[in-house]
Amino acid sequence: MSEHDKFLNRVVSTLKEPVQIDAALDRRVMAEIETMPRLELLPAPRSAWQWLTERRTVSISPIGGFALAAALAMIVVFGARTVNQVEPPVTLADVSLPAGTNAVQFVLVAPEAGSVSLVGDFNDWNVAATQLVREEGGGVWAVTVPLTPGRYRYSFLVDGETWLRDPQAARTVEDEFGRPNSVLTIGGA
Amino acid sequence: MARRGIPGVKAESDGSLVRRVLAGDSGAYAGLVERYRDRLGRYAMRMLGNAADAEEALQDTFVRGYRSLARCTDPERFGAWSFGILVNRCRTYGAKRARRDQVVIADEYALQNASVSHTADNDAWRDLIAWAIDRLSDEQREAFLLKHVEDLSYEEMQKVTGARIPALKMRVLRAREELRRLLTEAERV
Repeated sequence: MSEHDKFLNRVVSTLKEPVQIDAALDRRVMAEIETMPRLELLPAPRSAWQWLTERRTVSISPIGGFALAAALAMIVVFGARTVNQVEPPVTLADVSLPAGTNAVQFVLVAPEAGSVSLVGDFNDWNVAATQLVREEGGGVWAVTVPLTPGRYRYSFLVDGETWLRDPQAARTVEDEFGRPNSVLTIGGA
Repeated sequence: MARRGIPGVKAESDGSLVRRVLAGDSGAYAGLVERYRDRLGRYAMRMLGNAADAEEALQDTFVRGYRSLARCTDPERFGAWSFGILVNRCRTYGAKRARRDQVVIADEYALQNASVSHTADNDAWRDLIAWAIDRLSDEQREAFLLKHVEDLSYEEMQKVTGARIPALKMRVLRAREELRRLLTEAERV
């Protein structure tokens, strides 16, 4: 073992010595969480998500169409490439909407990505639940999800390891891990 | 080492405790706090340099973990998941506190009363290590502790910190070099 390794080992072994944390911390934690409403613990309702598997015929009014178009502002430039203008295709006829929900298309420009997931409050932050689909012949990834009115935090996960916020989103907040989440608010009818 | 235990808790897996909490048994969370308090506390202590800040960051971590528990997608790995929260909380607390001002007096004391050659004086050695660790940049200290004290792989470090692996390797290398330089300097005092 080199002198350098011996030195490092001495430093590390000292830093690895156990630390005793005051057991009163447990009581403080439990006292604080007892004051929190239980509702905060519950996962986001899945009901809206389960609507995805049920097809319904819904007519969308021109006004509804405009509202939908206004929600299509999810563009992220991936890597070093610059995209000046992206107009992802939206086919309203293909969208099956549960009653009381809005169809929201999430779009990511990621030409070099192998996979893109949409992860957020609306799918319990399940990284496997919502995969974006690459549009043919380009680097545009998109998925449309039905969302009931409310406030949602979400993020894109590229290739299973890179978290990307949506720079087009009106708001960004940090999650508990310091990762930036985008915020989307869907208004009521 | 004997550890304080909660009857019936030790044999229960993290996943089982998490599921109980999510089902409404908030008291089960005490088992998770007790289980990970010292391990997470060690990192907070080393990272923040004093017990008061470390305990505050730790309490904050557990409370945030509770509030976000529904987003813990792999309940059996609650420890790793909550560690990710702690790393972020330590960043926040480290930035908020003028911690370097708090240790100036300790720095002088350590330099005058300890040296690398004083191997028999464990307290002085610990003071010296604490002083040297504190002199690292926040990023270097974080990377060094995660790699060498918490034994995380670079892939795990990437998930926890959000930094790229090459950057993390560079931080660890620089931290080692800086520690060696600082401690060698102290030896000459």
